[in-house]
Amino acid sequence: MKLKKYLTLTRAGIIEALQFRLSFVVMVIGNLLYLIVVYFLWKAIYASAGTDIVNGMTFTDTLIYLVLATALFNFMEMYTVWEIGRNIQSGKIVLDLLKPMEYRKYLFWSYSGSFVTQFFLTFLPTFIAVAAVTHGAIPLGINLLYFVISVVFAVSINYSIDFIVGTICLYTESIWGINIMKQVIVLLLSGATIPLAFFPETMKTVLHWLPFQSIYHAPLSILLNANPQPEKMLVTLGTQAMWCIGMMILSKLFWKASLRQITVNGG
Amino acid sequence: MKRKGFGFYLRIYCKILAQDLKSKMSYRADFIISTIGMIFTNISGFVSFWILFRNFPSINGWSYYEMLFLYGFSLISLTPVQCLFDNNWSLRQYVYSGDFIKYCFRPINLFFYYQSEVFDIKGLGQLAFGIGTLIFAWVKIGLAFTPLMLLKMIVFLLTASLIMIALQNAAAASCFWIQNSFYVLDLAYRFRDYAKYPITIFTPVFRFIFTFVMPIAFIAYYPSLVVLRPDAVPMLSWLSPLIGIAFFYVSYKIWMYGAMKYSGTGS
Amino acid sequence: MSAIIEIKNVTKEFKVLKRREGLKGSLKDLFSRNYKIVRAVDNISMQIAQGEIVGYLGPNGAGKSTTIKMMTGVLEPTSGEILVGGNVPYKNRTRNAQEIGVVFGQRSQLWWALPLIESFRLLKDIYQIPDADYEEMLKLYQSLVDIEPLLHKPVRQMSLGQRTLSDILAAFLHNPKIVFLDEPTIGLDVSMKAKIRTLIHALNKEKKTTVILTTHDMGDVDALCQRIVIIDKGKMLYDNDIAHLKRFFGSYRTLKIRVDGDLKQEAENIQKELPDNSVSADDEWISVLVDEEKASVMDVLGCLQKKYKIRDMQLEEISSEEVIKKIYEEGVQ
Repeated sequence: MKLKKYLTLTRAGIIEALQFRLSFVVMVIGNLLYLIVVYFLWKAIYASAGTDIVNGMTFTDTLIYLVLATALFNFMEMYTVWEIGRNIQSGKIVLDLLKPMEYRKYLFWSYSGSFVTQFFLTFLPTFIAVAAVTHGAIPLGINLLYFVISVVFAVSINYSIDFIVGTICLYTESIWGINIMKQVIVLLLSGATIPLAFFPETMKTVLHWLPFQSIYHAPLSILLNANPQPEKMLVTLGTQAMWCIGMMILSKLFWKASLRQITVNGG
Repeated sequence: MKRKGFGFYLRIYCKILAQDLKSKMSYRADFIISTIGMIFTNISGFVSFWILFRNFPSINGWSYYEMLFLYGFSLISLTPVQCLFDNNWSLRQYVYSGDFIKYCFRPINLFFYYQSEVFDIKGLGQLAFGIGTLIFAWVKIGLAFTPLMLLKMIVFLLTASLIMIALQNAAAASCFWIQNSFYVLDLAYRFRDYAKYPITIFTPVFRFIFTFVMPIAFIAYYPSLVVLRPDAVPMLSWLSPLIGIAFFYVSYKIWMYGAMKYSGTGS
Repeated sequence: MSAIIEIKNVTKEFKVLKRREGLKGSLKDLFSRNYKIVRAVDNISMQIAQGEIVGYLGPNGAGKSTTIKMMTGVLEPTSGEILVGGNVPYKNRTRNAQEIGVVFGQRSQLWWALPLIESFRLLKDIYQIPDADYEEMLKLYQSLVDIEPLLHKPVRQMSLGQRTLSDILAAFLHNPKIVFLDEPTIGLDVSMKAKIRTLIHALNKEKKTTVILTTHDMGDVDALCQRIVIIDKGKMLYDNDIAHLKRFFGSYRTLKIRVDGDLKQEAENIQKELPDNSVSADDEWISVLVDEEKASVMDVLGCLQKKYKIRDMQLEEISSEEVIKKIYEEGVQ
């Protein structure tokens, strides 16, 4: 029963998350507020544009895209960099390394409990609300299945990037600086704050070759695509899979190499 | 015991600040990385802004440069909260671990003593960005530059700062009542992102909410109108300094009440 | 002598959330919550005179820290009256703070990144200590401990012992009337403990500072306190000098013997044979606590000699450690 030890961590995480009932209320208010601002801002932008379709996206498309990007962000943000950084500074990392589990996995599964609660308490309600409000602007078909697969890849890529950045904390004490840089870069370049369709052509070409677009742009564009052509899906998911494996290997190797840093320097 | 007036507190603050800066210099790497992180945040903000509005000459009657003016204004008005009140972010950890108690035994104002402990130099980088943006927008719009305008600008920037400080104080103080107050603080922090849009993009209901319930519009919009649109300044803009002071006072009372109510966890 | 601290019928209650267990319980807690009232301090009264060193003792969770928090003005009592140097602490927290010094457990109150001397200078300004008094205090410190090497070291680089020492010096710096020390020697090695006890003793003598000391280490009590106050579960169990307490258990003696074999194992066997006596073992001795009103030491010894070959023995008066242990376990009859 190898899975069981991981699921125990998931369960503990759910119990821990449920202790904080007010934080849910606040989170819901926060998201609502964000939605309102986004809604009116883009409404004003589309009104000023004079056309219904800007850069190939309708107002509804953009709205769905941005709202779900936020929901995905809330769902995927695990504060990994903070966690690793703090554990390194406090020396707790040494205890975690003693656990009979790879640190990379231990951290992930410790957080998986919040995945579950976040999914049911924020992502799913948001998704249903958006689907209802936009009167079926989200196509409900085979694309949902592709979307789920794509999100799994996205979570994994996002975690690997976080873990790589967290590992950097072994070399420097500046957790805040490192974390903020990562967050800013990932959110902007993945198309989480503004859909990639609005970016200038040259930037789009560059971003196409970076892993970030696989985190938000890929799953969301799959979801909004009513008639997914299998070849196109295969390309998108294939790219994601490639990045997923690549980043995972990279993060593992980087961690392994950096761990020598701890054992040599004594933490 | 001598009376402890403004002079006393100013002297103490300057001494703590001088010591704090001296000791920060010993963490040079952290300082540099954090500064770079701050610059990244600001650059990414500009890039988003540029991507979003480069396609549209005006939005809801606001020209590109007027929007930029608002943006610069909000950056400057956020500097004091970033520089002087950054210890609010650590408050919940001090309360949670019980270490907050150590602040309660000094014969000086508790709020002052707590906030004086941290001065965040990174905020100064943001100030530089903000001033640069504001001057650029000022010139491009072709606003007049007179000593009176400058005075107005300073007064209303301070007003806007007070509001943001008040929001953050109140949000931080929530940790005295609820356990996981990070989300509350994070919500208040996100207000800064919404502050840079003109409130006219919203429908009347939400204008009311963002003015009186969650006073985001006071962080940049109302105060900046005094300079930006001097011909049609609403009453609320002129009132904003008073509102700012009132808000700050209330938030200070909430903070102190929470701290007094606080009983410390464990032994 | 007039009392510097007066506590009259003080009670403090807390509202505590009762959490349910397991996943289901957590889900239920999300919607409905149960609270219960816990009485941390229950109707306590005492008076403490200027210049006394009082040991404030009790098992973990007895209510010691709560009492100290009330005396320092951090907590407001639910009922009852507290006067510290004529102030009501929670009403005049800052004025009270000027008159007291606090060292709270292992939580350093000094500026983490600053060298000790800079912390002292800041405290001088905060407490508005006159230059002459400040210089005099530093001289006194220099005569008592070797502080030169500490002064220029940032607090975060200090060892726990150095940090505690620094915190104690900082607490006495403004020459307060009262100093509260909450477990000052916790986690320290023997020589550091001795150093800190000597320091506290000297400062108390020199400055007539009242010291309230909570500790679990009877060594602290024996070295410093004439008077002890014991509380448990919020209730006061004892308030008098320590000699009196030992007299209270005057009929008790500790019989120490050494036998062959594993001492811990043998102690357990002996305990079974002598169910009325408390038996314990350390590396060298098996200790048997004997109440001579019930059975004399000779009777017990005779009984043991029948079964064990006793290699060596000692007879001792009851130690403070054992007295306190007995009070925690059984209370004062």
